[in-house]
Amino acid sequence: MKSTEPEFAGHFEQLAQGRLCFPYCAACQRFHWYPMPLCPHCRADGWQWRGINGSGTLYSWTEIHHAFDARYTGALPYIVALIEFPQAPGIRLVANLVGTSSMGLAIGQAVSADFSQVLAGSGPLVFRAHAVAAS
Amino acid sequence: MDIAIAGIGHTPPVRRSPKNIRHLAIEAIQAALDDAGLEGHDIDGVITDGVIMPHTVPREFIAAQFGMTRSFDGGVSFGGAGVAAAPELAKLAIGARKARTVLFYFGVDWGSRASGPYGFHDMYPAKMAFEKPYGFNAQPSYFALWARRYMHEYGMTDADLAVVAISHREHALRNPLAQARTPMTLASYRAARMIAEPLRVPDCCLISDGVGAFIMTSLERARDLRQPAVKVLGSSFASEAWSGDDIFTQQAEIFRVTGAQAACRSALAEAGITLADIDFAELYDCFTISVLMQLEDLGFCARGESPDFVRERGIGVDGALPVNTHGGLLSHSYLLGVEHMIEAVRQLRGAAGAAQLAKADIGLVGGWSIPDYGVCVLGRDAR
Ligand SMILES: [Zn+2]
Repeated sequence: MKSTEPEFAGHFEQLAQGRLCFPYCAACQRFHWYPMPLCPHCRADGWQWRGINGSGTLYSWTEIHHAFDARYTGALPYIVALIEFPQAPGIRLVANLVGTSSMGLAIGQAVSADFSQVLAGSGPLVFRAHAVAAS
Repeated sequence: MDIAIAGIGHTPPVRRSPKNIRHLAIEAIQAALDDAGLEGHDIDGVITDGVIMPHTVPREFIAAQFGMTRSFDGGVSFGGAGVAAAPELAKLAIGARKARTVLFYFGVDWGSRASGPYGFHDMYPAKMAFEKPYGFNAQPSYFALWARRYMHEYGMTDADLAVVAISHREHALRNPLAQARTPMTLASYRAARMIAEPLRVPDCCLISDGVGAFIMTSLERARDLRQPAVKVLGSSFASEAWSGDDIFTQQAEIFRVTGAQAACRSALAEAGITLADIDFAELYDCFTISVLMQLEDLGFCARGESPDFVRERGIGVDGALPVNTHGGLLSHSYLLGVEHMIEAVRQLRGAAGAAQLAKADIGLVGGWSIPDYGVCVLGRDAR
């Protein structure tokens, strides 16, 4: 996850502490994602990281059955979710959804972040689906 | 000044070519020159896409190989949008008398590369940091998210996607050079391997090595050359304030084709026609869902209606709007749209063989390289 873009680093530093943070611009009071040097909404310099709780809803998802990169061969199939957050309107996060099969999912379903892997330094942030579909 | 396409050339589409990309480019460009009845030294302007070709087959390499003395040089967008917007740039150059005869070429060797088409997205830093670690690292997975959401919002089913895949395959069966030549049914579509649910193998474009090229000059001059002139009636580029990093996941209405509506409106206005005048369309069919999205954003039908459009009005050679009459990226080859331009020229020359349409006076080429879009409207020269 090492990147040459300095504006990316805060997200991962916060994640390692168990906090999910996104760029928030105090000038126009909007989130943006992915992090950009200037706020893409109002061009303000100096946005801040704002933490949210990890509760979100499923905007869409796909179960991947093909290893586009050989390093994922052993992980197939896996689910990539696009998640929206009531506490961070206007942005969506890509992350893996674990502990479920694609069959049981529905758009609008509640999901929540599981920080155990990032806290242990053993893997990326994952999300878990709540049992009852919200849509 | 009116311009025309005077020559076309390409390499036979293939998954992996024994020739490298520079050799493929030379072969395609020589074929286009021969088709037009021109020599390399007749070319004084060269255009490619602005991102992919400069790293694989740079314009000055081609100029040196073919003995071209250039007074105009340009790169526009990347991949598909660049292909369809190249005539816009050529028209500006020729109209301003900066050049007289302009070559465009484009191709990829993604069939031979270990990273295939997927390595291209490694140039996006946010994708590398925030997506690749989650195994979200390839075009089929982006379009799978869109297709799933589209199904949710508009009730599309896999049978609707199959209509698109099967239509493209039927066209490919009419084209002796097409890469995918196994007949397809709904049953065989559904039996195909899942790639990124809900997209199966036949929902995804092929992977190819190859290059295509075309030559543009004034309509007046094209009429003196070897082939029937094909008029450039309009050509436009358009895009919006998105980057390749964020467009795939952050747009409010995620499956909207940014740039398509503006490019189409501009190209049609330049041509002085409406969509009703279009006899056929060659659209950037990287996935089955991509065709449906573009039919809506180009204005052939309203949002959510494209599944009905392809089923009821039809996109086959006998349909209301024949789409991708050579088989497209799905079944002919994945050269990011340059074969779409070449097929449109063939149709307008009346030289499309078993895929020739009964009426082919005006064709629309839609080229997509997200978030950019290019539209080229081409017409038969009925003088
Ligand atoms: Zn702002």
